[in-house]
Amino acid sequence: MRGKYDEKLEKILCEVQKPARYTGNELNSVHKEKTDGMVSFAFAFPDLYEIGMSHLGMKILYHMLNERSDTVCERVFAPWSDMEQLMQDNDIPLFSLESKTSVREFDIVGFTLQYEMSYSNVVNMLALSRIPLRSRERGDSDPFVCVGGPCAYNCEPLADIIDFAVLGEGEEVNGELIDAYKEWRAEEKPTRESYLERIARIEGVYVPSFYDVEYNADNTVKSITPNRGCAPAKIRKRIIGDLDNVFFPEKLIVPFMDIVHDRIMLEIFRGCIRGCRFCQAGYIYRPVREKSVDRLCEIAANSIAATGYEEMSISSLSTSDYTKLGALVDGLLDITEKKRINLSLPSLRVDNFSMELMEKVQKVKKSGLTFAPEAGTQRLRDVINKNVREEDLVRTAGIAFDGGYNHIKLYFMIGLPTETYDDVAGINDLARKVVDVYYTLPKERRKRGVSITVSTSSFVPKPFTPFQWEPQDRMETLVDKQKFLKEKITTKTISYNWHQSEVSFLEAVFAKGDRRLGEVLISAHEKGCKFDGWNEYFSYEKWMAAFEENNIDPEFYAYRKIPYDEVLPWEHIDVGVTKKFLIKEHERAMEGVTTPSCRENCAGCGAASFGGGVCFE
Amino acid sequence: MSKYRIKFSKTGMGKFISHLDLLRAFNRTVTRAELPVRYTQGFNPHQIVTFALPLSVGVESETEFVDIDFEDGTSFDKILNGLNENFPEDLYAISVSEPVFKAKDIFSAEYSVSIDADFGRSEKKVSDFFAQNEYIVLKKSKKGEKEVNLMDFIYEADVLKENDNRADIRLVLAAGGEKNIKPDLVLGSLESYLTPIKFDLTHIRRTNIFCKIQEKVEIFC
Repeated sequence: MRGKYDEKLEKILCEVQKPARYTGNELNSVHKEKTDGMVSFAFAFPDLYEIGMSHLGMKILYHMLNERSDTVCERVFAPWSDMEQLMQDNDIPLFSLESKTSVREFDIVGFTLQYEMSYSNVVNMLALSRIPLRSRERGDSDPFVCVGGPCAYNCEPLADIIDFAVLGEGEEVNGELIDAYKEWRAEEKPTRESYLERIARIEGVYVPSFYDVEYNADNTVKSITPNRGCAPAKIRKRIIGDLDNVFFPEKLIVPFMDIVHDRIMLEIFRGCIRGCRFCQAGYIYRPVREKSVDRLCEIAANSIAATGYEEMSISSLSTSDYTKLGALVDGLLDITEKKRINLSLPSLRVDNFSMELMEKVQKVKKSGLTFAPEAGTQRLRDVINKNVREEDLVRTAGIAFDGGYNHIKLYFMIGLPTETYDDVAGINDLARKVVDVYYTLPKERRKRGVSITVSTSSFVPKPFTPFQWEPQDRMETLVDKQKFLKEKITTKTISYNWHQSEVSFLEAVFAKGDRRLGEVLISAHEKGCKFDGWNEYFSYEKWMAAFEENNIDPEFYAYRKIPYDEVLPWEHIDVGVTKKFLIKEHERAMEGVTTPSCRENCAGCGAASFGGGVCFE
Repeated sequence: MSKYRIKFSKTGMGKFISHLDLLRAFNRTVTRAELPVRYTQGFNPHQIVTFALPLSVGVESETEFVDIDFEDGTSFDKILNGLNENFPEDLYAISVSEPVFKAKDIFSAEYSVSIDADFGRSEKKVSDFFAQNEYIVLKKSKKGEKEVNLMDFIYEADVLKENDNRADIRLVLAAGGEKNIKPDLVLGSLESYLTPIKFDLTHIRRTNIFCKIQEKVEIFC
């Protein structure tokens, strides 16, 4: 079909908004001819181009697969509604950006699952590709459909839709999947099943159809059992042991159009030593593994030369926790200053050292700083194990205002376990204290016009965290807490933003969902649900209708307190962190006891079983 | 001398690069090529890069111009090779020279247009459209919308070929700071004039930029 749609495409690209989303001719994009014996992989991001192209994981795996001479990897994104309409009017199925090949013609289609609210786009993209939506409906002329990324750890809601999932970091396992594909194709009688049986033996690969799930009368899961020999009882995630010696792309694609993160992203480590109890990333990416300063400087210099980007950002879950941050920043500034490249350091913790670094890096354009205390009172911050103290925030705010900043953003969560209205009021109190710090500075030392932005997201309990057993606050409660906080905030200096509670509710349902939700996803798709992360598309009513149609009560998933001995829908997934540890952490949370970071004291979470990283420093 | 004028082409999929995106693509190409570009002074220094005449999205061209400030004595060849070795696909530097005319003297631009459509179904002809003295359209500008006579903006229109399924047209349209019109508006108006037919595919290519110096029209370079 290559070329078949060229003329039609050319015509619709002239009519569509932002055609650069679909052209695929960017610098460093890889255009390969697929010849006999090669394996083709469509890397699909279930959102717009400008979102997907900002995602580091996609860049790594795209370039890594294309390094192989036997593999073609091309990108696919969700078309915006204007493009989708034009594609349908002109009978054009979803295509890859590079060769404009129909997605259905690829050997493997891999979706990256970064957030639950993109699931409807996964289904919609399959439909636009004319690939049957349920794995059991696919035949020999269909590709294998797989998922990866953080939400793949509990991909049960997609269990009947996908053929398999890849758990953990993909650099090694993706290559093994390609090797297995070639071996399988050489089999005498390759069937879809025989490929899945082959890869179910690879560590990190999960084939949902090889597991039977039984339910109790009260709708909870009774058991999850492998239904054939090749499927392990527990599927263990994959990680990369040595980040210095693993592939990292330097010839990054440079988009023409403005994307969300239009810069070089330098990944300095994976995992997080902190263990904030609400944060899934803090557990699933354990153990912490760092790249060396030398390797990072080498990657930085090469990436700049290959892209011409004017900005580089350090990327990790908590920049300040990099052990040699001072040396790294000095090394990077040596490279970037000469070339007039802006270096940014996001995710800094609140301390003096961070401010010093900020001063070094941000020589110009001082405007905003962002901090995430997450909760308004020390009591609640202890519950969630966010080890930031009010004194730290107040002191850092003072340094920031003194240093020429006049705008500070504060991120909080509402609906956290054990939260009371006093804790919610504490958000306002904390923001007021930050404002007070500004006014205690002498006039000549502060920049005019202080403003504080308070943002609250709503707590969503996530699998593989100590809060996985916790119920989410009901939507009415969340809305009431938002209203309460809004009324507390009386000064114009502080502005307040909050999240739509219906979206947070659905996020909880799908984060903790089981495979019975697959039919809900398909019903929602049939009703037109897509781009649920976008306000202009999200329709709570359509979603509720989809649940009703399938006789499923979404509150069962989001609002129920789960006992420790209940079988969780993700019970068969092993991320290294043990259930025993999560229970202990949950108990400590309820007692308001904090847990020190991995570097202060090993808490015995179980990630040491991977045999590397911070556990053995 | 530090201002260099680069003539370049923007073809193929490159026609979908917007003006702002094109500027960014040039900045990054210059950086990759490590050419000795000059930066503006001030808090937020940027490369000194100015395009002669923005090109509409969807229009190809082999005659675009951009002025870039490089350090004195940078050779034309160094710039030409540096750009071409580092350009993304669909951009190509044709030549580098000293600027002759000023961008503010740009007066008109020539386009070569070919349209695929079921022309046989329309009672009116393409050439009839351009033969009119007046055709009022709503023209958008930074200041808002205004009704104008489209024909005042069309300096020349030669229908080179017109048959049942294709029309080839050469247009010279007002261009530059004082009076400017996009080819889209002309072709969109033509399409409504020919109702009920719809254009299948339109190829537009800018073929020349002209400036006017003391009433004399010159090819911009």
